[in-house]
Amino acid sequence: MLRTLKKYKAPYLFILPFFILFFVFQLIPTIWTVYISLTDWKGIGSPEFCGFGNYQKMAVDDMFWESLGNTVVYWISGLILIICCALLIACLLNSRYLRKDSARAFFKTATFLPNICAAIAMGLIFRMLFDENVGLVNEVVSLAGGPKVPWLTSTTFSKIPVIILNVWRYTPWFTMILLSGLLNISKDYYEAATVDGANAAQQFWFITLPSLKNILFFCSVTLTVDMWKLFNESYILPGPGTSNSSLFQYMYESGFNVFNMGYASAIGVVLILILMVISVIQFAVRRRQGEL
Amino acid sequence: MKKKIAILLAATLTATSLAACSGSNDNAPAATTASAGGQGGAADQGNAGGGEQPAASGTVYPAGTLTVYAMGNPQYRQQYFETWLENHRDIAPDVKIEFVQTEGTADIREKITMTALSGATDDLPDAAMLDPVTIMDLAKAGLLKDETEYLTPLLDKMVDNATKDATIDGKIYALPDSVRPQVLFYNKEIFDRYEIDPEMMSTMEGYIEAGRQLKEKSNGEVYLSYIDPTSKTWRYWGRRGLMPSAGAKIWDDNGEVVIGNDEGTKKALGAIDTMNNEGLLMKTTIMEPALYDAINNQKVATFLIGAFWDEFMRQNCEATKGQWRVMSAPEFEGVGKAGAPVSQYMGIIEKGDNPYSELFRMMWYDFTFDIEAKEEWVNSMEAQNAPYSNPVSIEMLEDPFWKEPSEYYGGMSFREMEGKCLSNGADNLAVTPQDAEADEIISAELEKYVAGNQSMEDAIANMDKNLKAKIGKADVIQ
Repeated sequence: MLRTLKKYKAPYLFILPFFILFFVFQLIPTIWTVYISLTDWKGIGSPEFCGFGNYQKMAVDDMFWESLGNTVVYWISGLILIICCALLIACLLNSRYLRKDSARAFFKTATFLPNICAAIAMGLIFRMLFDENVGLVNEVVSLAGGPKVPWLTSTTFSKIPVIILNVWRYTPWFTMILLSGLLNISKDYYEAATVDGANAAQQFWFITLPSLKNILFFCSVTLTVDMWKLFNESYILPGPGTSNSSLFQYMYESGFNVFNMGYASAIGVVLILILMVISVIQFAVRRRQGEL
Repeated sequence: MKKKIAILLAATLTATSLAACSGSNDNAPAATTASAGGQGGAADQGNAGGGEQPAASGTVYPAGTLTVYAMGNPQYRQQYFETWLENHRDIAPDVKIEFVQTEGTADIREKITMTALSGATDDLPDAAMLDPVTIMDLAKAGLLKDETEYLTPLLDKMVDNATKDATIDGKIYALPDSVRPQVLFYNKEIFDRYEIDPEMMSTMEGYIEAGRQLKEKSNGEVYLSYIDPTSKTWRYWGRRGLMPSAGAKIWDDNGEVVIGNDEGTKKALGAIDTMNNEGLLMKTTIMEPALYDAINNQKVATFLIGAFWDEFMRQNCEATKGQWRVMSAPEFEGVGKAGAPVSQYMGIIEKGDNPYSELFRMMWYDFTFDIEAKEEWVNSMEAQNAPYSNPVSIEMLEDPFWKEPSEYYGGMSFREMEGKCLSNGADNLAVTPQDAEADEIISAELEKYVAGNQSMEDAIANMDKNLKAKIGKADVIQ
């Protein structure tokens, strides 16, 4: 071991900064979080050990389960809508109909803009758009002859603005990733398919999608983590109670509004476990498919 | 050679990472400065227990910034303290004061807690604006200075219960800043137009009846008041409003959850339910443009809320200037109390050698008891449509200045009414360290009720169930 370290000290030294940061800012806080989750601690004073009390509390906490359910909704809807929208836009940007380079550059920039806007600022604008009384969305609904929809004041609709904001913000990033994948697919495949008489849908289904498999997998893993960490969107567009809160938001509020650090840590531990299980399943499925 | 350079580079990167993680030593000179300010500390000892304006002779406070965490619009308070410092350059020649704007007491607590946890005590503020729950937690953690000795001789000079919510186990942990009552704001012009006698609103039944008449006579154009779909319904209608005046309880004296069977709760939340079901309340978020528009268009006739609402009205509802009046909050039959006052405090942070503790007490004393300076500042606040509250000093309240008519209230003296409305105040709900969590649970159920997802009976039952499941028993201290 020591001989190996001595022999390869240069590469080990190069990766050392990452591991120092990883240990200091990720591993140690994670272990600390697990410890705090077993205590009753309000952020000041000494933590008092309470065993699995916080986890037992979680089991009977309606707000926790509602936030967990909401997060699953955001995750599933995000995976489907964001990847579909990103793929569609990436295909359009890569389309042969967009011939001029200047036009392509313009649309690429325009597509990416939502991603660089500050999430909180966008959230505030969406809050105005979805306001029940004076919001633009309800104005349009009214013009179309419909009744005013209580977007953010009803438990039924309050998740919809969050999902829309979510899709609007995340789609550009994944569009760019998918577009880079599309640009790497050899044109030869499409030319051969055209010669064989394949139409656009068949080319998409039999060439584009299989070629993007690994990138789509990467997107789904990244999106899964992002969606389970969702915070800004639901925090800035609050609905009644926890009707549209994400689990991450509930964890934050338990920690910094209620100052129940032990309980918030327990939620954090559950989040880590959920993400680990999902990631393991995703990787296992890919391995079984022989793709990894 | 290349290998050596590579190793050197890697070593530099590692060292940089370690340095970045190790924290800065920038505080060291500040700490030295603070220690050098031992004169402040000396002043501390010299004036302890004085109960008067602390003597400043011979004491010169060290150069630096006195930091105060506050909420609302603290820049206006800063104006007062800056003027005070300008007038006292002999004792604080190079001291500046900075009021840091925060979102609220939770934000203040978060900032103080995180800073204390990190061990960077020099970065803690010198003082902070606090509510009773935060005082309780910070005092328990030893982060607040004990003000008992300093305040005890001053208690007779202040309004009743000025220090009540800052007293824990007989010790006072913060300086009283304001005690503001619940009041009933009503638009006299609307009541005159529909020939409704505002006096009928002295009881809760009369208040609801006034709403019914307003709705009927205006063909549903005018609402009695508002209901907020967010947590503010619990905060303003519930915890600070109808719950105390109905004599409601969340916990019994032993800390057991009783909200589900409590008659007071049924009265308080039942009144909200009646008003909401009968369409007397406009569903809109408070402190947002939609509500201000409705007020300016004379579509909302009353606000049963804390006296702090005055500043929001003056700032945002200029179109109704002169139309509003204030009266005591309605009383529930059989209880006879008119809403509980809301107290706010300034706590001096215990951070070791705090060179400005005594200086801040001097400023607070002046702000609380200097009649002339306070009146000048209040005039300036009125001119700027800025917030101010009635003083806690009895002597100051007796000054004719605090009975002067207010233009915004059609010649009625808002300041005088604010003082009068304190007279029949209900007791606040018991303060417990579990309040923040309880508020979250209760508010969530109330929000679902406002959203139309459950009846008020179900909401109360769910509050009871979830409080029992999540908190169980509270530590009732007061």
